[in-house]
Amino acid sequence: MQLLTPKNIRLPGLIVLAASGLWIALSASLPGTSASLSLPAPQAGFIAPDFTLTSLDGDSYTLSELRGKPILVNLWASWCGPCRQEMPAMQALYEEFHPEGFEILAVNAANQDNIPAAAAFVEELGLSFPILLDLDGEVSRMYQLRALPSSFFINPDGSIAEVVIGGPMAEALLRTRIEKLIARLP
Amino acid sequence: MLPYLNLFRLAIPVPAITILIGISVGLSLAERFAPRYKINPDLLYNLVFNALIGGIIGARLFYVLLYPQAFIESPASLISLNFGLFDLWGGILSALLVGIVYGQRKQFDLLLTLDALTPAFAVFSAALGIANLASGKAYGVPTDLPWAVPLWNGMRHPTQAYHAILAFLILWMLWPTRHEKTIPGSLFLHFVGLSSLAVLFIEAFRDNSIATISTLRDVQLAAWLVLAGALWGISRLGAENQNTTPNP
Repeated sequence: MQLLTPKNIRLPGLIVLAASGLWIALSASLPGTSASLSLPAPQAGFIAPDFTLTSLDGDSYTLSELRGKPILVNLWASWCGPCRQEMPAMQALYEEFHPEGFEILAVNAANQDNIPAAAAFVEELGLSFPILLDLDGEVSRMYQLRALPSSFFINPDGSIAEVVIGGPMAEALLRTRIEKLIARLP
Repeated sequence: MLPYLNLFRLAIPVPAITILIGISVGLSLAERFAPRYKINPDLLYNLVFNALIGGIIGARLFYVLLYPQAFIESPASLISLNFGLFDLWGGILSALLVGIVYGQRKQFDLLLTLDALTPAFAVFSAALGIANLASGKAYGVPTDLPWAVPLWNGMRHPTQAYHAILAFLILWMLWPTRHEKTIPGSLFLHFVGLSSLAVLFIEAFRDNSIATISTLRDVQLAAWLVLAGALWGISRLGAENQNTTPNP
């Protein structure tokens, strides 16, 4: 490629600038300037895939019924070290922010976990947020679970604000993300 | 999409590994370029290494400054490895500052250094595209074109692949100039201009693109300004500096 020089840059430069300006104007009419918010997908900008699961206590929870609240969906297993390490911070922040409407749905990947072991862990740490059992792995599939823990911060409008794969999440990370979600409450 | 490679119970983050490989390969290329610009390859390596370390520390410090209360409540988070506790722009600013200070102390010529680093920037840009392909970020709009990829509930433009391909194309276009006489800074500004053009082109196929002014995409407008700046810079470089780099 022949590099441009001061002697030959003016005309090609102007042509490139004009053509790229035209491309900007033309592409303004193409789709893509608004998020595909109506689609459910486990990625920031999309609607969080809906699910209904039963908790360790036997209660039923449906994600979409919590619309209007900032939510953290956390996929975990009792054998997963980082999952266990981040739970105390999650519990502390749940206690702090639950009065403001914040919810945690801790989805246990029960299809690859031992439920009595998970229950013992929950009791040991005194976790008070709902522990949901993904018995058939359907939620893991919907959320394309590839590593534990995986966390999905969900806006009050039901869209995913951020996905954090892996852990443990530091308390400061959890706090800043939860405060951002709460700030989006109408 | 392959965000994690699961080996036994280890989850290896493919995007992060791709970025690291990109930095490593890019630096190797830059070291080969360095002698042509009369730059000591070891010093160039140290410059980049110091800038990277400065960038990482700066990114965390800026994040702490932005959210001090979170770290007062949890001081242990200061040393957390969470990527989410780094401020991108603070990191870039810190890396630039450290690089400039180190470069001045070692008496680097700024324009020649940027030229020597251009292959590294090009490889890093390509690695970023591949990393986004692995993570599924920077995704395209739905399409029924034959090369569409299944991602996020639909068949989409593989915009991350476009990014990587164009970055390699830019590297391929600029690579032969290593044997030519060039004005100092010219190679870098050509890379900036071509990369801006690539971004400007690809953004048209991106989904979830932010448009502040009507439906004009912010990224395209920013890329157009950078392109104009690069072209202006090339003309100014020529006006101010008629010296050329010597033939190897």
